[in-house]
Amino acid sequence: MNTSSDQLARRQRFDRLVAVYYPDMYRYGAWLSRDRSIAEDVVQEALLRAWKSLDALRDDAAAKHWLLTIVRRENARYFERKRLDMVDVDDLSPAQEALIAETEDEQLNEVREAIYRLEDDYREPLVLQVLMGYSTTEIAELMGLKQGAVLTRLHRARHKLKEVVEDDAAVAAGK
Amino acid sequence: MDGKKFRDKVTGDSSTADSPADLDETSALDATLKRAMMLDVPELRMPELPEIETSKVVSLAERRRARAPVWLATAAAIMMAAVFGVYTYNASTSYDSLTDEIIAHMDHEPYALRVTDVPVNSARLERVVPASVANLSPKNGLITYAQSCEINGNTVPHLVVQGERGPVTIILLPDEKIDAATPFQGNNVNGVLIPVGDGSIAIIGEESAESMDRIRESFVDAASWRT
Repeated sequence: MNTSSDQLARRQRFDRLVAVYYPDMYRYGAWLSRDRSIAEDVVQEALLRAWKSLDALRDDAAAKHWLLTIVRRENARYFERKRLDMVDVDDLSPAQEALIAETEDEQLNEVREAIYRLEDDYREPLVLQVLMGYSTTEIAELMGLKQGAVLTRLHRARHKLKEVVEDDAAVAAGK
Repeated sequence: MDGKKFRDKVTGDSSTADSPADLDETSALDATLKRAMMLDVPELRMPELPEIETSKVVSLAERRRARAPVWLATAAAIMMAAVFGVYTYNASTSYDSLTDEIIAHMDHEPYALRVTDVPVNSARLERVVPASVANLSPKNGLITYAQSCEINGNTVPHLVVQGERGPVTIILLPDEKIDAATPFQGNNVNGVLIPVGDGSIAIIGEESAESMDRIRESFVDAASWRT
């Protein structure tokens, strides 16, 4: 295979992976950063980094974990570079408000806000498990934690959110 | 209590809850959470991807095999040569003119020129175009692409505005002073580089430069460095 066809095959492989996993990358980035525009920047940086190191990915079956790991690192780099503080939920930028109130379903927005309000340590493993379908072992590996710590965080995250969801359900039932 | 039961108790994981009632409750909670977490995803904007010379790519497995000291020295030498080669290659990537570089840059971001009515996120626009560079307003039209790009060693805003006859590229160049307006052409595009104070603005579209007067004026007015 000549260099030109190698490059074409490389690009096609990359495009294929991105087409499949871009939504996961974006949503993970958005819930990590709690800001849609930052998530877009983080994902762009992650895509660039993934493109440069694509040849290190030996098995496409591991692509999702590989790409999410890159998003996680790029998000950390972004906040390190910008030295951004964690935001107060009462003082949101339009982009942050857009994250938690983008639908006309008030109950759904309230659940989003509750997820948004969760501490990073709780929100991230919950997103990985509920949205990305990760096992607690995989979450522990990605976050560099012991499995017990992941289990505890998941339990506390669900406990905090359960009240909001139940309140919403009660309000809906009363209507 | 065995390990699995402990996990069941602690996680509240829908796949490991320990009674049918718990299972239903946690499944319902997770279903609600998942629905809330499924944010709408904006259209993919692929970054500019640099060319990778595949013949020089060393696979991970090959790198692992190169762990023996004798190979380590060889690998280090190859890496140094490769780094030097890349550096030399980058350093030698030069253009005859600023307009040539702009055209080459546009060729690397063809996805920017899509016809759409979705404006770029305002927070992103503010970051790409800080007030010190330009004060954009609705007068500038529907901006559907904003990216910080490197042109002639400077990081500059690369924007796309939806013109009446298709997407128009705007590149704000506050540090590129020119003496007079310079028309230029690329593949199926016409552009003009216009002087604005100590800098310039490149405007490129599929139509003739004359049809882009309104867009040109709005961006000259917005440029913070024009006076």
